[in-house]
Amino acid sequence: MSRIIVVTSGKGGVGKTTTTSNLGAALAKQNRSVALIDADFGLRNLDLLLGLEERVVYTAIDVLAGECRLAQALVKDKRLKGLVLLPAAQNRNKESVQPEQMKKLANALAKGYDYIIIDCPAGIELGFRNAISAAEEALIVTTPEVAAVRDADRVIGLLEAEGVNKIGLIVNRVKPLMVEENKMMSVEDVLELLGVPLIGVVPDDEKVIVATNRGEPLVLGEYDSVPALAYSNIARRLEGEKVPFLDLMANQGNILSRLRRMFGG
Amino acid sequence: MNFEPTISLDKIDDVPDSSPLVNRYSQICLKHDGDQLLLVLPTQAEINSDLPWSETWQELKHLLQTKEQSWQVGTKVCLIAKDRLLDARQLQTIAETLNEVKLSLETISTNRRQTAVAAATSGYSVQQTSLSEPLNPESSEIDSPSLVLAEPLYIQSTVRSGVEIRHPGTVVICGDLNPGGKAIAAGDIFVWGRLRGIAHAGAQGNRQCRIAALQMEFTQLRIADAVARPPKLRPRRLSPELAFVTIEGIRLVKTLDFAKTYIFSSSKEAWVDKNEAK
Ligand SMILES: Nc1ncnc2c1ncn2[C@@H]1O[C@H](COP(=O)(O)OP(=O)(O)O)[C@@H](O)[C@H]1O
Ligand SMILES: [Mg+2]
Repeated sequence: MSRIIVVTSGKGGVGKTTTTSNLGAALAKQNRSVALIDADFGLRNLDLLLGLEERVVYTAIDVLAGECRLAQALVKDKRLKGLVLLPAAQNRNKESVQPEQMKKLANALAKGYDYIIIDCPAGIELGFRNAISAAEEALIVTTPEVAAVRDADRVIGLLEAEGVNKIGLIVNRVKPLMVEENKMMSVEDVLELLGVPLIGVVPDDEKVIVATNRGEPLVLGEYDSVPALAYSNIARRLEGEKVPFLDLMANQGNILSRLRRMFGG
Repeated sequence: MNFEPTISLDKIDDVPDSSPLVNRYSQICLKHDGDQLLLVLPTQAEINSDLPWSETWQELKHLLQTKEQSWQVGTKVCLIAKDRLLDARQLQTIAETLNEVKLSLETISTNRRQTAVAAATSGYSVQQTSLSEPLNPESSEIDSPSLVLAEPLYIQSTVRSGVEIRHPGTVVICGDLNPGGKAIAAGDIFVWGRLRGIAHAGAQGNRQCRIAALQMEFTQLRIADAVARPPKLRPRRLSPELAFVTIEGIRLVKTLDFAKTYIFSSSKEAWVDKNEAK
């Protein structure tokens, strides 16, 4: 049984595309076959993050228009067996795709891949509806900021109304130092408000930006970087493994404040 | 003379929404009527702007998901469409959405000829009503602000950001009311969880209404025409609290202490201390 998962957030710039590419790569590295769908029509950049930009020939729109076969449009990642990308058209506007069509594409891919991961555009308009139309599960990405969490909450409500009830939360760009100084919401604060299960915590780390610019998913680089580990842990949790969460706060604060954290103080 | 458009900032903030309260209930509503259910759509006038169809449909889906499913499988539904124009496709969407929760659309009540035709062509029974006569004795109470409150609305999930619950009766939320979420009720509001959004009880002007929550962390509370905002620093209370209107405005007390201490004075239109009332 393959799984169709949408990566969404409401707010832009919180790390949906970064999550989609790194999670796709991490799952492929764990020997799963993965098709990534870029549903951010008009603003595609999943191909960039994956370093596949120059190999894009056809896009999802061409497939829908019958101008090429689905298999022709899929861009294979040479570094990772089992990882493919269905690119979005950059020049067409969002209105040219309908939810039913997205469903068709995702369901067709589901016949050949273990995971179909859909990178959702920001907002809650048609682009969002397209992206979630085929999804059976969702990963909500948020940063520990009030506005991002508010939007995440809204999106969770919309997903629930659509009957997408299997939802996992990824808190991205956590800065332990700021949390420690009470200048940033903690992961616990976010969790308490959103009330959906946590599946990953990713620290704010410049290695993420470097990898993005190089077009190289983190798990392909040095394995021991903290963000790379965070993404492969998310992949393992998706696979049903129980993996303890990284203690990003481990190096923060004195013994007392650490104990307080442990006992929920 | 030159009339410049003015954008006034003064005090607007302190006045509750001045839109007619009736409009607050321009929401889809589902109610029991004998052995069938009535699905009442707001009239064209009640949805003050041209609310796109997709919004209405989303709202319907949301309503069906969150409402306690207190009906038998296969219960028949009568759609009170009033003056809404609905085409065959929209009727089909409604029927499919109802189907998902095991309800079956049977009858369409409308005062628009086109809707009636579409409904009849799609094979539904049609009740055509004229504009002047009340559409249905049941639905008339939604049309006019009435002193009789609707039966309580019981919401079995968290009210999330962007969601607004409007109900011409008491609202019970079994979950949190999150920041960015809103509950507006003609009656009381009870939140069996954290109240972090905006709650407006007694929205038709009843100052006797109350708002209670297991944990009060509200953005704003309103009761009838009174407004309360949280102080900058409010220590987290561990016990459930209740908000009500006193002569000085909205007040919060421990829920446990409320009934013992306060009584509503009709002359003062506010809750007063029992001991002082004597
Ligand atoms: N954990 C992180 N640490 C540092 N930078 C990050 C992290 N996650 C995302 N970013 C950066 O944030 C920006 C927006 O990320 P992106 O994935 O494009 O967001 P979205 O797809 O939600 O709009 C990118 O420049 C990305 O490199
Ligand atoms: Mg993106």
